[in-house]
Amino acid sequence: MTQLTRRRFMQTTAAGAAASALGGRAFAQDTAQIRHFWWGNPERDRRTFAVIDIFNEAHPNIQVTGETVGFGDYFPKLTTQIAGGNMPDVIQHGYGAIFEYIERGAILPLDEYVGNTIDLSGIDDSAIQAGTFDGQLYALSIGANAHMAMYNKAMYEAAGITAGDGFDPYGWTYDDVKRIAVAVSEATPDGVYGTDDNTANWQNFSDFVVQRGGQLYNEDDTIGATVEMLVEYWNIWKDIRDAGGAPPGPASAGLVSADMADWGIVTGQTATTYQWSNQLVGVQALLQDPVGAAMFPNTADMVPGSYVQPSQFICLTRDTSNAEAATTYMNAFVNMTEMTNVLGLERGIPANTEARNALIPTLTEAEAASVEYFDGIRGKTAELPPPFPSGANEVEETYKRVATGVLLEQSSMEDAAQDFIDQANFVLSRN
Amino acid sequence: MQKFLRKSGPAYLFLTPWFLGFFCLALGPILASLYLSFTKYDIINPPVWQGLANYEFMFCCDRRFKQAFSVTFAFVFLSVPLKLAFALGVAMVLDKGIRAIGWYRALFYLPSILGGSIAVAILWRQLFDYNGVVNSFLRIFGIEGEYWLSDPNYSLYTIVLLAIWQFGSPMLIFLAGLRAIPQDLYEAAEIDAAGKWRQFFSITIPMLAPVIFFNLVLQMIEAFKSFTHAFVISGGNGAPLDSLLFITLYLYQEAFSYFRMGYASALAWVLLLIIAVFTAVAFWTSKYWVHYESDR
Repeated sequence: MTQLTRRRFMQTTAAGAAASALGGRAFAQDTAQIRHFWWGNPERDRRTFAVIDIFNEAHPNIQVTGETVGFGDYFPKLTTQIAGGNMPDVIQHGYGAIFEYIERGAILPLDEYVGNTIDLSGIDDSAIQAGTFDGQLYALSIGANAHMAMYNKAMYEAAGITAGDGFDPYGWTYDDVKRIAVAVSEATPDGVYGTDDNTANWQNFSDFVVQRGGQLYNEDDTIGATVEMLVEYWNIWKDIRDAGGAPPGPASAGLVSADMADWGIVTGQTATTYQWSNQLVGVQALLQDPVGAAMFPNTADMVPGSYVQPSQFICLTRDTSNAEAATTYMNAFVNMTEMTNVLGLERGIPANTEARNALIPTLTEAEAASVEYFDGIRGKTAELPPPFPSGANEVEETYKRVATGVLLEQSSMEDAAQDFIDQANFVLSRN
Repeated sequence: MQKFLRKSGPAYLFLTPWFLGFFCLALGPILASLYLSFTKYDIINPPVWQGLANYEFMFCCDRRFKQAFSVTFAFVFLSVPLKLAFALGVAMVLDKGIRAIGWYRALFYLPSILGGSIAVAILWRQLFDYNGVVNSFLRIFGIEGEYWLSDPNYSLYTIVLLAIWQFGSPMLIFLAGLRAIPQDLYEAAEIDAAGKWRQFFSITIPMLAPVIFFNLVLQMIEAFKSFTHAFVISGGNGAPLDSLLFITLYLYQEAFSYFRMGYASALAWVLLLIIAVFTAVAFWTSKYWVHYESDR
């Protein structure tokens, strides 16, 4: 849920008043109206609205307006807009789901604008590669991202645990997680646990599959995870839960796909939450205690399972009314230093070298920690997998549902695992 | 014609706003969804005709539809009778002629005004959260509460409770119905030494039957269509374990999360048929238990 802040309310009212005062026609002729839609959190929304103001000031003939909702509401709303043929001109997308939208034709290729309105000279090759599908560029990366375990440093210290002293943030195992989580549970008040329970955390499981030498999806668009992997993974977390390191199953079941405000580390119910690195800034903004960054845990074999991927893209939609103005805005969003400075690292590490260098002196503590994190994981990550098949989104939902049953001990793990594999393959074949 | 106009003309005149809305806004989408229910339609590409495939799949192979079906029925059969009984009970208490009855009426009606609002559903989530008001209250008495919302054994009951809490509109209608029962019937019964229960079953219920029937049909349709509460409380996907997967929620998810507009349309039409059948059954049985003043 996003809040209507006073600032945004004023902006909207002012924009409405201005529009009615000027009269629709004259306004529309001189100014290109561009809508930018993203999913956010309070911190991201604040920064993005500020950036839009900067852009509008610098481009009197383009009027960008921002629209934002929480992640949970974003895709349903976008789908409604696709159906109505009134998608915003510029939308935000993640690496997981974008391929489905490209396949269905909702997103336009950018190649004809490269060299005109879009300048790629400063952008990292890997970021351009990540936005390229079937040889065409569809998306500009607005930040690199990786899985990150965020931990409450104060709670860890209360249990006598600090990074470097029996705790390697860049190479801890599930056994370490258990040991540390139990220690933190014991050192903190009742009802506070050392770690979230990741039984139903699809991102963590997808790491685990790669750590075990598998891949999430096979080339023939079937599910690559096996019953053995699922059962082993669920047992790891059951073990941590039973040892008192994580909250009881039903408590965790209520937090599957929760918004940031309900995450364990944010509410203080747990000391460790497993998310994406770009969310570190947002989480720190909601917490007094300092937040530390660690990789997702690994098995003793230490096969890399996480990878660095674009956190988000901005894309041009099929329904754009003025592609030139829209791509001008998109270009500024990734290249214009005044804007990238305000955006900071909130969406991930920028793909533009210059933007990155300009940021370094301005970083807050949480942002500096993000940069340090990316240095720390270098060489410890896996290769970026090919784009996910269509239906991947539903497979993830299916996983969360089945794993919730595991948390609530509704059936045996073996049955649940087989059930997930069957359902996932069915979903993938249906699309 | 002239007779018809004189008799029903004003009624249709008053219905004009509804007719306008129906023909200008609702009819088109309704017909479109009927067509789409026979197609595969992913919103972006044009729909592809595939006959009855959606309906066949729904009844042969779709586990989540079966789940949605049973959740919806459990909700309707639990919430409607309980809500009506509760509304009738409160109406009878208010009918006794308490002081400041206007206030009470307004007060009891308030939850229904808040009706389908998101805020109420969020409030409900706070109340029944593990560390919420309900469990804190129970803890005063040393009772350890349950995970009301994340345990599929309880989650549906919290929504049933929410539905019952919004008993205001049937209550108002019951209240009007109670006022219309002639007092002399009760006086006569009292002279014949009939007890309170006897009076209730032999006078109140039969005299109220048309009102009960009206409320029953209305609340049943409402309950089948219920969406917002389950959507907000379950986080939009029927969680935990699909225990809050109402048909409305399922069709929303199919349409807007998974791009299956055609299948979602088919689900919507099946829901419509279910409602139609139940309403028809209610009307058919009403012959045997509802008697109107004019019939006598």
